[in-house]
Amino acid sequence: MKLGRRLAALGSVLAAGALLVSCSGGGGGSSAGEVEGTLDFYTNKGAWEPDFEALNPLSEEAIGIDLDIASYSDQPQYEAFIRQSFRTDESPGLFTWATGPQLQELVDEGLIAETTDIWDEAIEEGWVSEDLKQYYTYDDKQYCVPLNIAYWVMYYNIPIFEENGIEVPTTWDELMDAAATFSDNGVTPFYTTSTLFTFVWFETLVAGTDPELYQGLETGEVSYTDPRIVEIMNTWLEQEEAGWFTDPGSTTDPATMLNNGEMAMINFGTFFSGSLKGVGMEPGVDYGTFIIPAVDPGLDKTPVPVETGPLCTAENSPQRERGLEYARWWMGPEAQGAWNSARGDVPFNPQAEVSDEGLAELGEEIASGDYELVTRYFEAAPPPVLTVALEQLGAFIANPGDPLPYLQTIQDAADAYWAEQE
Amino acid sequence: MTTVRKDTYRWSARGFIAPGVLLVAVLLYLPLLWTTYLSFTEYNGLGDPDWVGFSNYIDMWRDPAMVGSVLNTLMWVVGTLLIPVGLGLLLAVLTFDLKGGVWLRLPFLIPYAVSGIGVGLVWSFVLQSNGALDQALAVFGVTDPPRWLLDVPLNTLVMICAAAWQGVGVNALLFTIGLQSIPKEPLEAARLDGAGPLRLFGSIMWPMLAPLTTVVVGLSIVGSLKTFDIVMGMTKGGPGRQSETLAVTMYRDAFVNANYGSGSAIAVFLMIVTLLASLLYLRRQLSAKHEF
Repeated sequence: MKLGRRLAALGSVLAAGALLVSCSGGGGGSSAGEVEGTLDFYTNKGAWEPDFEALNPLSEEAIGIDLDIASYSDQPQYEAFIRQSFRTDESPGLFTWATGPQLQELVDEGLIAETTDIWDEAIEEGWVSEDLKQYYTYDDKQYCVPLNIAYWVMYYNIPIFEENGIEVPTTWDELMDAAATFSDNGVTPFYTTSTLFTFVWFETLVAGTDPELYQGLETGEVSYTDPRIVEIMNTWLEQEEAGWFTDPGSTTDPATMLNNGEMAMINFGTFFSGSLKGVGMEPGVDYGTFIIPAVDPGLDKTPVPVETGPLCTAENSPQRERGLEYARWWMGPEAQGAWNSARGDVPFNPQAEVSDEGLAELGEEIASGDYELVTRYFEAAPPPVLTVALEQLGAFIANPGDPLPYLQTIQDAADAYWAEQE
Repeated sequence: MTTVRKDTYRWSARGFIAPGVLLVAVLLYLPLLWTTYLSFTEYNGLGDPDWVGFSNYIDMWRDPAMVGSVLNTLMWVVGTLLIPVGLGLLLAVLTFDLKGGVWLRLPFLIPYAVSGIGVGLVWSFVLQSNGALDQALAVFGVTDPPRWLLDVPLNTLVMICAAAWQGVGVNALLFTIGLQSIPKEPLEAARLDGAGPLRLFGSIMWPMLAPLTTVVVGLSIVGSLKTFDIVMGMTKGGPGRQSETLAVTMYRDAFVNANYGSGSAIAVFLMIVTLLASLLYLRRQLSAKHEF
């Protein structure tokens, strides 16, 4: 009896111990060193999971690797998970992240596997333009490979343009005239939101007015309360007061809103084509795209905000070699052509086949030399400044008024950040 | 012999308790200690935390949004006491003695089965600009309705109402249990003495409900101090940071800004406030004369 009770007690302790061990220990990790097999892939692009999966048969055939995808749709949760994973021996073999200061933070800590040889090969093969390399280069070495490239342009509803007799604008004045005509005809010209994508119009106005001013915000050389920025914000305020933007409190999917004709235009990244196709819109028939003309017609080149997201491999991942092999394959025309038809995005590889004619033309036009690529504000601003800017621009959009208090709050965050960097 | 048996019994008992203690230690005490340690550091989740002493606790009060967050949290505490608890009590008092009262209370109880984030999403659909409520109002000719989730403090008030939608039923249930446990005799005696419904409630029911009221109010205070899910589901603390609560501010600093030190300092502050509020309230209410 006594023995039985002791055994039962011991059993309870062991069971609890086993439970804790099973909670703390991770699975996987059995594939160290083997290049072929299943690669654990983590991404914050939950909605893109079917597109990644669509490439599995192809990658399995080409390099013997298929992705086991763990997707998150909540960005902060995803970031916390990835940061935490570097403290374990289960850091990811392949994961999505953001370029700019966020990638630099990981590179500075020595957490990311170098991809210089992959980039050298891709450039030699003509799989990627040299321009793109700068977003992945730290101390002359490359880290990660591009997941995608997206240009921030204007999407428009073709039938609404036709009904209102509006031609695609080629100058800023024409765009403003078009907006005024739409507004007079009872059509809301532009989309806006007070959460997350609150920086878009700010970016368009500032970069289009003066790309150097825009870059000054990125480097901390220009204050957010600079009179030129205040003037730009006041222009935006006038447009807000003229009713040129959709209600920022709407949480309806913007693709659905454009499809329903709730606005005529939306300033978005070229990955938006996938969402528009998702709601049944056909390129060239239901929607089109144009590059937003520069606010200042005197600029030599029209600035086009560009975003490129990275696919990275953790330096200490047990799947390091497998992750790098997949990254190498991903850069090639076969993978990029397949990705383009799965996702409907602009491929960064010029040799890849583009299924969407409009996007192909857009890519060619941007490459024509008349345009200057500027880093999207989301990647350009240091994260602590970005968070405050997104919130304050959101507050300005929700309650348009004197822009100075909003700008001052952003500048306070910028001052604190740049003081820490000194 | 007896001592040996007693010792054996004690060791066995400890063995059985050990798994529970171990789980609590690992899942609650260790994270608490780690969070407290982090609150004295600067840490971005990578590398090692840097010890910075009390600077996170000092800096958080330099942030004007933190003051707004505290005020919003206080609004949640008061609002939750007035609406879900107050309405719950009213519902319980009006229905507990009614035939079929359970059927009147039941619909109020169903939303309790929905998670906070679910409540947030449902109400966000209703209250967003041009959402279900605005469209319903348009039918009655209201073409310029209030901006429910964009204007301050209206957004916090409507979120408290959404929380009430979920919380009234369970509060009513708890108060009904309390009302049912009141002995019938004093009520009958008071009725015979000519006491009206208000007098009955004020002089008999309310004092006799006190122990249960203490629990419901205590739970409400603790619950409202840590309000997070409904706000995240409806406004994410915005526009700007105007509807943030302390828990949302903590989440923003720790997980959106990857500033785990600052987020941990707010978490520790929130924990201390919650503990103090609970202790002060319970010590005051659960005195000997109100033993539950």
